Amino acid sequence: MESTVIVYLRSGGKLREFLKPDVDQYTRKVDVDAGLSIEEILAVLGVAPVMVAFAFADGKVKKLDYVPTDGETITLQSPVAGG
Amino acid sequence: MKIKVTKENCTGCKLCQQICTIEHYAEVNPKKAAIRVYGEFPEPGIFTPKLCVQCGACARACPVDAIERREDRVYVINPETCTNCGVCVDACPFDVMFVHADAPTPIKCDMCLKCTEVCNTGALTVEE
Amino acid sequence: MPDDAQTHELSTTREDVTMNGFGGTILRINLETGDVKRTKTPADFAREWMGARGFIAKTLYDEVPRDADPLGPDNIFIMAPGVMTGSFAPCGSKIGFGCISPATNGHADSNMGGMLGAEVKYAGYDMVVFERISPEPVYLYIDDDKVEIRPAKNYWGMGSLDLEKRMKEDLGEDFQIATIGPAGENGVVFSCITHDFGRQAGRCGVGAVMGSKKLKAIAVRGTKSLPVHDVAAMTKSTYDIIQRTKPHPLMDPWQKYGTALFVGWANEHGCFPTKNFQTTYHEHWEKISGETLADEILVTHKACFGCWMNCGKYSVAKIPGKPDTYVEGPEYETIALCGGNCAMENIHHVAYANWLCDNLGLDTMSSGNTIGFAMELYEKGIITKDDLEGHELRWGNIDDFEHVIRMIADRRGIGEVLSYGTKGAAERIGHDTINIASQAKGMEFSGYDTRWYSAQLLSYCTSDIGAHHNRSWAITADIQIGQDTPVGKAPVVIYLQHIRPLFDTWCCCRLFWGELDITPEEHVDTIQYLTGWDVTMEECMLVSEKIWNLTRAHYLERNGGPGRQFDVAPVRHLEEKVPSGPAKGKTVGRENFEYMIDDYYFNRGWDKQGNPTREVLEILGIGYAADNLEKAGLIGEPFEEGVPKVRGQKLKPNAM
Repeated sequence: MESTVIVYLRSGGKLREFLKPDVDQYTRKVDVDAGLSIEEILAVLGVAPVMVAFAFADGKVKKLDYVPTDGETITLQSPVAGG
Repeated sequence: MKIKVTKENCTGCKLCQQICTIEHYAEVNPKKAAIRVYGEFPEPGIFTPKLCVQCGACARACPVDAIERREDRVYVINPETCTNCGVCVDACPFDVMFVHADAPTPIKCDMCLKCTEVCNTGALTVEE
Repeated sequence: MPDDAQTHELSTTREDVTMNGFGGTILRINLETGDVKRTKTPADFAREWMGARGFIAKTLYDEVPRDADPLGPDNIFIMAPGVMTGSFAPCGSKIGFGCISPATNGHADSNMGGMLGAEVKYAGYDMVVFERISPEPVYLYIDDDKVEIRPAKNYWGMGSLDLEKRMKEDLGEDFQIATIGPAGENGVVFSCITHDFGRQAGRCGVGAVMGSKKLKAIAVRGTKSLPVHDVAAMTKSTYDIIQRTKPHPLMDPWQKYGTALFVGWANEHGCFPTKNFQTTYHEHWEKISGETLADEILVTHKACFGCWMNCGKYSVAKIPGKPDTYVEGPEYETIALCGGNCAMENIHHVAYANWLCDNLGLDTMSSGNTIGFAMELYEKGIITKDDLEGHELRWGNIDDFEHVIRMIADRRGIGEVLSYGTKGAAERIGHDTINIASQAKGMEFSGYDTRWYSAQLLSYCTSDIGAHHNRSWAITADIQIGQDTPVGKAPVVIYLQHIRPLFDTWCCCRLFWGELDITPEEHVDTIQYLTGWDVTMEECMLVSEKIWNLTRAHYLERNGGPGRQFDVAPVRHLEEKVPSGPAKGKTVGRENFEYMIDDYYFNRGWDKQGNPTREVLEILGIGYAADNLEKAGLIGEPFEEGVPKVRGQKLKPNAM
């Protein structure tokens, strides 16, 4: 059982500035304890969860209580323009 | 090499038409493009991009041999020779030889591939 | 197959009207006489007002008598693309429609994407002004230089979508068509204009004004090239933006779900209209979410002209006992207002409701809002089966929804009352129903309940066209500043009211700026390449602020003053606490609202009564509006602190 996992967080806009991409212009790679939810990972990074409208992984919308698996890519959207 | 059309992916944005005309005429005018996107609405609600498949029927029909086959098997119109008679347009079995009042010759795809570069849906891709 | 092999008529030479970025000609059509006048688009007019919303605001202000009946012969109906329409700008797709609104009795502009705007520019036109009323139903036919007013008697009465299909058959697939439905013909104040089988100029009742003029449709084919100052630079700029944004993290969700991806978020954040805005969380939202749309009813993704994000979702609703119906949508707004607000629990039902609105020619937003309002009145026994021709009007019931919306489109019985929108209906029904009418200035709230989002409530209540978030979407600002405080909200709302409607002036879609990190400065670069103007973002923001103040002045001249009496919130949204869901217990409160309004007026350079001051109008170059307000006794006296040097402030994000 792994104690840490690698998660890739992708985002645009102001959120991207706070997440500090390091893989490419949109992607930040993080190494966190296994079993953390997206909301908890954001807390580790110091990003307020209210900045995130929703998460998107594996082609589906995810709530912030979703727990990413090792190597998974999570897209984070902050609401800007509205629908 | 050819341009593969996956029509299920087409959303009708016409970026392909815009870039085609810009590339060949340095103008903004989707109606001078060598590719056209047709919609079938309200039913079944799908889009179909159509462009030349380089079959050569136009070249065979041209009465002044103005349509030449390049080494890469792409048929191109020689604007010096073309008299704009329109026979090739009628001869095209796929209705992908286009005309525009402001163009000196009929308009057909010359495989510049610009449309595949702007398409963001996978409707137009390059196939080797 | 369209007959592309047929040679078009030779285009007229453009030398006499060429202006980079523009079509070059303005049409004025007197529908009473059938007269068509062409004038060259003045270069200074184009530079000063930039298109669509700007052209509309100035023309309406100058030309419509202040006592004109919005559905009468003195109102003017305008169709105008903008500077970016039809260019190789990121999503240069929009075209605006404008008039005095029958819902608000003020300036109105409403725009649509699709393909029409580009076609109008290629035909060579920057604005079409329709005056008076035609004696018989007609449609406008434009084929490059050929402009005709053609009989539409055989089309009158047809559904909007049905007519577009028919006209494509009659005229050819390469014509772009915009139509009104029976609702617009009958003067329902929230009638819309439909195009491309699912794009609408939805708000402000522009469809009703088009119908009042007996103008059933507009058909355009344009084959000319758009003159551009620097094609190579514009192309490179947009090409690079396309390549840069293709891998953007938000491209995939937007392409896949469109605006509907906000349904879950709005519920989880307690701002989803539910049961006539009684509450703000819909128990069954997952059954009408963007994912459910994609899984169950999606046919194809659909894009506007020049857009590579293709947020449009073309769907088919399959309901036992009803024919399969094809519709573009439902968008977030339709899911919120026809869905949650009417307590629908089935995505097929929401899509079908969308189709009903589209074909009858009704704005889905005001329709869902008004029908939700009527459903609550039915629940309370204020409306009964007798009013509904023996039918019921139950929450979440698509058959009841269908029956009442057809009554509204026909304006018969209670449908006639409801055809005035929630404010007009409440005034006629009484019983304090005005307290539960979710509207501002006579136009219905869009898809956000604002009791936990005070900046958004301020946005709705100060919007010039009535409650619409296109003018200012401030929900994230509320979250970042703090949802429970009124402090600091007004300057941000003012900034948003300048930058968002700028996109309605430029006429490109604001979602690229909003979602894909294309900066406003990049859009300004595009305008420079297109027109050759030496224009800056600062100048564009001042243009937008100028338009804002002009429409305010116009509104006051038409409706009297002071302005403060119109910038008011519905009682439900001020005083009723949200009963359930994430926003339970929340409301804005009257004191907070009045604080924000005071703060708003100061930051706008207006006076305490909400009247613009001479000082701010002259800064913006519209001193003549100050002269007129002064004559009407409506000019404002500045606050003691004077007029701020810069009106509005961009939100500083604070994610940490």
